[in-house]
This record gives sequence, C-alpha cells and structure tokens, in this order.
Amino acid sequence: MIVREAGETMAYSELIKNFNKIRDYMRDFYIYGFKCRDDYTKKSARSYDNEKRRMESWLGDYMQFRRTADGKEVFLSIDSRVTKQNPLYKAWKTKSFTDGDITLHFVILDILASGAEKSFLEIAGQVDSYLEVFDPVRLFDSSTIRKKLNEYVKEGMLVSRRSGKTVLYRRSRENCIPDTDILDFFSETAPCGVIGSFLLDKTARHESCFAFKHHYITGAMDSEVLCAIFAAMHEKRMITVETINREKDRVSEGHLVPLRVMISVQGGRQYLMAYAPRFKRITSYRLDNIVSVKTEAVSERFDELRRKLDRLEPHIWGVSTDSRSGKRMEHVAFTVRYTEEEKHIPRRLEREKRIGIVEYLDQNTSRFSADVFDAGELIPWIRTFICRITDISISNKALENQFKKDLQTMYAMYGLEGGDSHAV
Amino acid sequence: MLFSELYGVYFHMVASILTAAVDHTLQPGEMKRIIQETAFGESMLNIPESLGKEHWRLMKDNGTAIIRNVPTMPLTILQKRWLNAIAYDPRIRLFTDEPVIFPDIEPLFLPEDIKVFDQYGDGDPYEDEEYIRNFRLILDAIKHQYPLQISVVSCHGERITTRTLPEYLEYSEKDDKFRLIGTGNKSGNTINLGHIISCGKCSMTEKNVPGKRNLSHPRTVVFEVSDERNALERALMHFAHFKKQAEKLEAGKYKITLCYEKEDETEILIRVLSFGPMIRVVKPTAFVNLIKMRLMDQKSCEL
Repeated sequence: MIVREAGETMAYSELIKNFNKIRDYMRDFYIYGFKCRDDYTKKSARSYDNEKRRMESWLGDYMQFRRTADGKEVFLSIDSRVTKQNPLYKAWKTKSFTDGDITLHFVILDILASGAEKSFLEIAGQVDSYLEVFDPVRLFDSSTIRKKLNEYVKEGMLVSRRSGKTVLYRRSRENCIPDTDILDFFSETAPCGVIGSFLLDKTARHESCFAFKHHYITGAMDSEVLCAIFAAMHEKRMITVETINREKDRVSEGHLVPLRVMISVQGGRQYLMAYAPRFKRITSYRLDNIVSVKTEAVSERFDELRRKLDRLEPHIWGVSTDSRSGKRMEHVAFTVRYTEEEKHIPRRLEREKRIGIVEYLDQNTSRFSADVFDAGELIPWIRTFICRITDISISNKALENQFKKDLQTMYAMYGLEGGDSHAV
Repeated sequence: MLFSELYGVYFHMVASILTAAVDHTLQPGEMKRIIQETAFGESMLNIPESLGKEHWRLMKDNGTAIIRNVPTMPLTILQKRWLNAIAYDPRIRLFTDEPVIFPDIEPLFLPEDIKVFDQYGDGDPYEDEEYIRNFRLILDAIKHQYPLQISVVSCHGERITTRTLPEYLEYSEKDDKFRLIGTGNKSGNTINLGHIISCGKCSMTEKNVPGKRNLSHPRTVVFEVSDERNALERALMHFAHFKKQAEKLEAGKYKITLCYEKEDETEILIRVLSFGPMIRVVKPTAFVNLIKMRLMDQKSCEL
C-alpha cells in the first residue's frame, strides 16, 4: 500500500508492506493451484481478492483460471525451462513506500551526484530549494532528512564521516557491476538469486544466453529468511525463528544455532540444519516453514557444532538426523541387475549415490549399501530402480516390509497381481 | 534489507521517467510508454498523477524533472555481499578470471554455509582449462551468432564432428551440466559441453545453412495422487518445474496433468515410480504400459 503523508492511505495499491502476506498466496497459487476462493477461509475474502488482483498485475502472463464445480480456481502456470528469469522475483520488487521516501531518494542522490562531500545543513538547505518550485510549498523537517541520510549510509549507498562537529555525507563510489552473463546465470542458480535480479534491473534489457532445466523457482519466496540466516551464520549468532505448522495452522518459536543451509535440486526444498539447545540435537527446518528470523547473541559453540554436523553428514541421505525406528543408525542395502546393454545402470548408482558404497558383484549385478540415520529417506531413490531390484535389506524391518508391501500394492493398482499373464 | 523499495519496480520506473525528463520535456504518451515497459499491469492507474506536486514532487506540471542529473544509485552493501559470495563459486571461472570483488565487504555466504545434497556426482569440470575455453567460445558465439564446429565423444566412444549455430546454453542443477542448444545440425542440436573434445569457429556453407531446430515433442501424462504420507505436497513440489495442472477429485485424491518433452520420458517414468503406490498413472495408455512393463520386470525379480 502506498502510505501517503500523515497516514492517508489508498484503498488498493499494487505495492505491499508485508511480504509474508503475499508469500503464502504465491506458494498456494504456484504449488497447489486447485484451491478456490472459499478455501482461503483463514484470510478475509477482501484480502484474497486484493492479493489475487496484485498477482494478476505483477504476473499477468502466468496467471490462469479454471472454473470447476467448487468455483473458480486460480493458479500460476510457469514452465521454468522456458522462462529465463524467475518470474516470482517480481514479488520482491513491490515494497510500498511513503511519498517522502521516494522524493528524498531522488533529491538526495541528485544533490550528492557530483561525488563531493556535503554537510547535513547544506543537504537540507538544498532539499528545500528543490521543493520550493511547488506551490504550495511543503518542506521536510530536519529529522526526516537526517533519518533518510543515515538509512542510506547503513544501506551502503552513502558514506559519512565526522569533521569536527560536522557530519559530512557523500555518495559511495560508483562500482562497475559484472557482465550480464554472470548475473543472468547466478541470479537463477545461486542462493538469494533475487539480489542478482536487482542488479540485472540496473542493466539494459537483453536476451539471456541461458535456460534452465530441473529448475525450482519457489525458493525465491524464502530469500529474506535465507538472507537473515546467512547473516546470523556469518557472525556465528543464535537465532529465534518462528515456524509454521501448516496442517495445524500453528506458529511456534524456537531458539537455534544455525549451521548450514541444505538445498535440494531434486525436490525444490531448502532446509536449515541447526542445533536446538532445548532438544540438545542438530535437526532440519524447512525454510518455507520459517516465518521470521531474529538474530540473537553470539554462540560460543558454533565452530564445535558445525564440526559435529560435518561428522554427521556421511550418514545423512537427505536432511534427517534421526530414524523412525528409534535406532541410532540404520543399514540399507539393495542389489540391482542389468544387461550388457544397460551399463548406464551402474553408472547411475555411482553418480546418484550421495553416500555409501557400490560393489560390483559380477558383470551384471551391483549392490549399494550405506549406514544412515534414516533409511526411509532412500526409499524414493531405490524405487527408481524398480524393474531390476533383486534384493533389498534394511535393518529397519518395518521399512523393508513397507517397501515390499508397496510393490504389491503397485502390482494390484495396475492389474498385475495375478502373475505375469496381464499383457501390456 | 532485501524487501526494500530501493530495489522496487516503482523506483526503477521513476528513474527511467526522470532520466528522460532530465534530458527533455516529456512528450505526450512518453511517460505512459515507460510505465508500460517497466512497471506492472495496473501501474498506469496512479503513477502519472503521483509524480507531481501532490505526492512525490519529482515532476513539474510542464513535464520537466526537479532533479538535474540522470538518476543513478550506488550499489548497496547487500548487492556487494552477494557479488562477493558468487565469486567463491567455481562456475564463476567459466565467465571471468577476475570476478568483481569488494575487498572491504564480507560475502553474504561462503561455500561451507551451503550444501546441495542431491546433485549428481559427475558434474561438468568447471576448473578444466579446455572446458572453460570451450564455454567462453560458445557463449561468445551465442551472443555474436556465428557457427561452431564441435567434436564430441559419443557414448560408444566414437568421435563425432558437427557444425551448429549456437542458440543458448541450458544448465541443469540436478545434473550439474551445461548443454548447448543450437540449430543447423543434422545429427541433433543438443551437445553436452562435458563431451566436447574440440570446438572452433567455422563458416556455414550453403549446404549446411542453419535452420534445423530442435523440434519440440510435447507429451502429457495424467496421474492421480493419494494424499498419504504427505505425498500430495511432495509430488507438487517435486514436479513444480513442469507446466502442470492440479485438480481435486475427492477428499485425499488429486489429479495432476503434467507436460514434458518426449526426450525426458524415461526420467519422468522413474520419477513417477519413486512415489510408489501414492501415484497411479491413468493416461495415456502408452505411459501406463511403460509403468506396467517395469513392474512386471520387477515382479520377475521375485523380491
């Protein structure tokens, strides 16, 4: 919302003050896409209408609608292999501001454009003279100008220094920014890539030389959370996080030592690995479930805990550090067979295994085995070898039995339960 | 602060308007064109009025700006921190030997702060000098549109030489590999950069004029998801990068229609299988048969 001076507000604006408000809607429209207006009951109908209208304004090309018996469904349809720049970044470019914010931004940077240092009084005087051309004349008070100057010093756009009793301000040196190829690539692949997109906005329009396959774009919505976590890790500080349990629609608070961010390029999720003093253990937290991050005191144990995580990692397949069986470690092994023409299968085992070992039992048989905290995390991967699994052994027998039972269910689902007689 | 008006579309758009207005008195329609090119769908509704004396006080009634210089904005600390962080990424060498670094600024993150835990282990060799040379030549050829003669080693170990006019580079985060997509090549327009053994400029003769593109072979698969063991959310996230539609059929049961390219069919097949009985493919019959064949082969393993 554009907040006018003296608190006057506009009824509807494309811009927003609080990103978390739109974060949930974007996630629902993009990931789920089958919810109707009535499904958004926890928010008001007006709020839903406004957020939908905003998204149509920002992402009109990607918004689609479908009418069903339950009502109109709104969804975002994005083929990330075709789209060369993450469209969700647009949401980060919608922060609202006051009239004073935008006036002072352009006027102050213009006053300091020459690069010369100026005192506060000189700047304030010049701001007045810029605005005196308007009738009626409305001027800023000193504290507003001083606050804006200090804000820009903190952001790094201005530099200040004290000369006697006077504080002098100047613009930071203009830096060249990297080649657009670098920005095009890393804005899509590096953590907090939206910052690369901010930099791209400073460059001339051009066609990117890159496209992306297997490209998950939803992490963009968690950029601010990620940024705050990086900042805390850099200073080895503890954090207080608010996490949401979406099923129960409940927010809870936790105190953590953030240790590492784990990124999945096969599932699109990002996790924080952190030590929770309350539970005395390192565990994972989904970034999209973290609502807020507050930086706390420095943790003396940061280095020790990160070394501990390093020691755990050879036994973590995904992000889980504990088993469902209650055992400290679970053993998993499976054997696959392949023909002479299927030599890509052992190569698959080698390149796709993250931990563990591959043994070559004979020319057409290989076995993978590993000791992991949670063997359940390997099940989806093992299933990708369905058609050639000749043996499987998991120390967590309930899990092994579930795997075999799931296979039987699949045979039944496709009408294959009565032997091999069901021709394809 | 990441969510800041400093990086917002409105500040950029206003900078574009002021850039024009510093240079000359804005012509009728000029502001409208800039707003349409740089802002959002509904921005036209209030911006022209907001720029004037009532609100933002940046433009005079006569269409001139109150500022005197073309507006520019120095880099923020956040932008510098991000640039310092990507300078640690080994892939930066593909682009430059001297990445932009701000010595007095801490990087936003370091390599040890992040771990991509499910990337395949045979990614491209980003520190190999020959690979870097090929990458830079291909990138230059894409930008300046000249053909290349490229030799690769096939999966059978044979040397294959082709000519192609490079269009773009496709990067897969899962595979950690680059592929060149080009035109004008008889034997396929997709070349894995990691397979290239030589790459050089060439001229196109009339016989091999560029024009033959990779044809799209779109396919669709329809499957039902049972929302057990959090399968719905996992499936929707897992397949999020495809163009898709999700529909609710009944409580706990959903239908997903997924669009993919034919060349990726085997990959889609095993990704569907990875969900076990939580996903049941219903259409098309050919895809259902692929699943059945895999299951029958599995059954014969007598696990």
